[in-house]
Amino acid sequence: MIGLVSEPSEQGAEQPITDRDRLDSLQRITDAALASLSVEQLLQELLLRISDILSTDTAAILLLDETDTLLHARAAKGIEEEVEQGVKIPVGRGFAGRIAAERRAVTIEDVDHADILNPILREKGIRSLLGVPLIVEQRVLGVLHVGSLSPRTFTGEDAALLQLAADRAAIAIEHATLSEQRQLAEALQRRLLPTDLSEMTGLEIASRYLPASHESLGGDWYDAFAIDVARVAVAIGDVVGHGVLAAAVMAQLRTALRAYAIEGHAPARVVELVNGMMFGLGPRAMTTLVYAVIDADKGSVELVTAGHPPPLLISSSGEARYVEGRGGIPLGVSEIARYESETLAFEPGTTVLLYTDGLVETRGESIDAGLERLRRLATRNGDLETLCMKLVAQLAPRERADDVAMLVARMLPVPERLRGRWPADRRMLASVRRALRRWLETRGASDDEIYDIVVACQEACANAVEHAYRPGAHTFDLCATCDDGRVRLTVRDAGRWRPPRGTNRGRGVMMMRGLMDSVEICHGARGTTVVLERALGARSA
Amino acid sequence: MSVLARVVEERGEHLSIAAVEGEIDASNASAVAERLRTLLTNRSSVLVVDLTATTYVDSAGLNLLFELAGELDHRQQQLRLVVAPDSPIARMAAIVGLDAAVPTHPTREAALAAQR
Repeated sequence: MIGLVSEPSEQGAEQPITDRDRLDSLQRITDAALASLSVEQLLQELLLRISDILSTDTAAILLLDETDTLLHARAAKGIEEEVEQGVKIPVGRGFAGRIAAERRAVTIEDVDHADILNPILREKGIRSLLGVPLIVEQRVLGVLHVGSLSPRTFTGEDAALLQLAADRAAIAIEHATLSEQRQLAEALQRRLLPTDLSEMTGLEIASRYLPASHESLGGDWYDAFAIDVARVAVAIGDVVGHGVLAAAVMAQLRTALRAYAIEGHAPARVVELVNGMMFGLGPRAMTTLVYAVIDADKGSVELVTAGHPPPLLISSSGEARYVEGRGGIPLGVSEIARYESETLAFEPGTTVLLYTDGLVETRGESIDAGLERLRRLATRNGDLETLCMKLVAQLAPRERADDVAMLVARMLPVPERLRGRWPADRRMLASVRRALRRWLETRGASDDEIYDIVVACQEACANAVEHAYRPGAHTFDLCATCDDGRVRLTVRDAGRWRPPRGTNRGRGVMMMRGLMDSVEICHGARGTTVVLERALGARSA
Repeated sequence: MSVLARVVEERGEHLSIAAVEGEIDASNASAVAERLRTLLTNRSSVLVVDLTATTYVDSAGLNLLFELAGELDHRQQQLRLVVAPDSPIARMAAIVGLDAAVPTHPTREAALAAQR
């Protein structure tokens, strides 16, 4: 067992071939790993191959944590307790700690007389140890060590072979870790826009998130959520730094921003509260932010900037200009920072573009040149998805040093026909009312007519919502048209009609009949359709 | 989501007033009803529900008022409504006959001055 590598000089020309074969087997696993294995599976496979190459009884991989101060046992063979007990070794101390700090191989011939921090190594009866650092591009990722239950003198050749294996393993580990972090980052970003806000508020939103090529988990994020039926908040931020710390700060900020916004605070105050929170709780990192609230009823957008590149406002005719505003300092810098908002018109067809610096910063070029390039590309653009695609293709380099996030929001003009699929949820009724009111206004309905038609429509929608409490139907469709001054609403759901129950249900139908010129209710096998009609300008109030 | 309706209360020994500001629909009708019920004690005899500042009500809201009127009547208490004449709320109340079933007054003053 020992002879395999402890007597290489006598093996002549054949031995390196055997080692090469075994290294090749390691190489194969690292290649395959890049595609499919999780980090944990990869580490486990690597350990099996490595202990086989060196004929050792134990093998373990410890990886540096985010702070680069602690080594965490991540995988082990023969000393599985290391991982199970979550062993952490400070860099610079003990066997593994020394390897990481000194960035070189360390051998221990007799564990009993050595500075060993981890009691598990002794308890398992390990007599000799050899460990090497895992290094990628001058950075220490962790430590790989192997051990023998019988006394063994690890030679310089053993160390060289283990280092060779470690170098290959390190690249695979780096790759797998980054890819896991990237998936996490993307999952975080993708979960952010849970609902299509366009039907609720008449606001169309598109977004992109592109992770950096080499850096780990970035700190860019964006968010969009409804504060109430008329107002949508959009935000984009950039936590300085990378990795899990930046991601943690990001997650906390996003939640805090939503909470303060929905509490009803004015936009500038929301930003002040989020900044204040950073000094009170948890991890803090300098963060730039743009927070904007779009009010569809007022046709306005209120913007607050905290050390972030200026939002780009694109008019309905396609003119793009930056909103420099009254920018405040980044979050996380001063506990008493004050922020001011700026309110601008946001008419149908207007677009606001929020982005992070990765989109406008190119090495060796002034940021002004990048801003100007973005402004020109965004001028006279098409629909939002096309705009996003164009900006990514032209401005985000394949090899990105930084992650890139962008979010665009556009106020849609009120359509001639209202058409939408709504969640069958009572809480959506207010949004349905708002969308219908906005549409009826553009059709020239009077205030009283708007009121009557909205109530009648709600009665039909409320039926659909009740149907949804049965299996199978969780949405309903609302279509509204107006031809020759005659408004026609169709509410369709997939549920089965429930006959009026008691006097209460009867009142809904009574109101529909009282408020509209005609009411048709069709119950089919595939659902219920209610058609309501009313001629505008025909009734005296 | 922000709150659709706000209830502004004035509690009295025998008479309480609740003004409902905002919108009542199927999503908040039961919450509004709960709130109105808290204004009633064994000693109260009259509850005035002022709908002057109510901007929207559909059958869910009207049903709640019918039910509340029935409950109060059962306990020898009285519900009085304040509904501005010619308002959309008055039209809705008329369609389902709420104004005929529950004493309805054009102003809060008129509701307070009314005799049992």
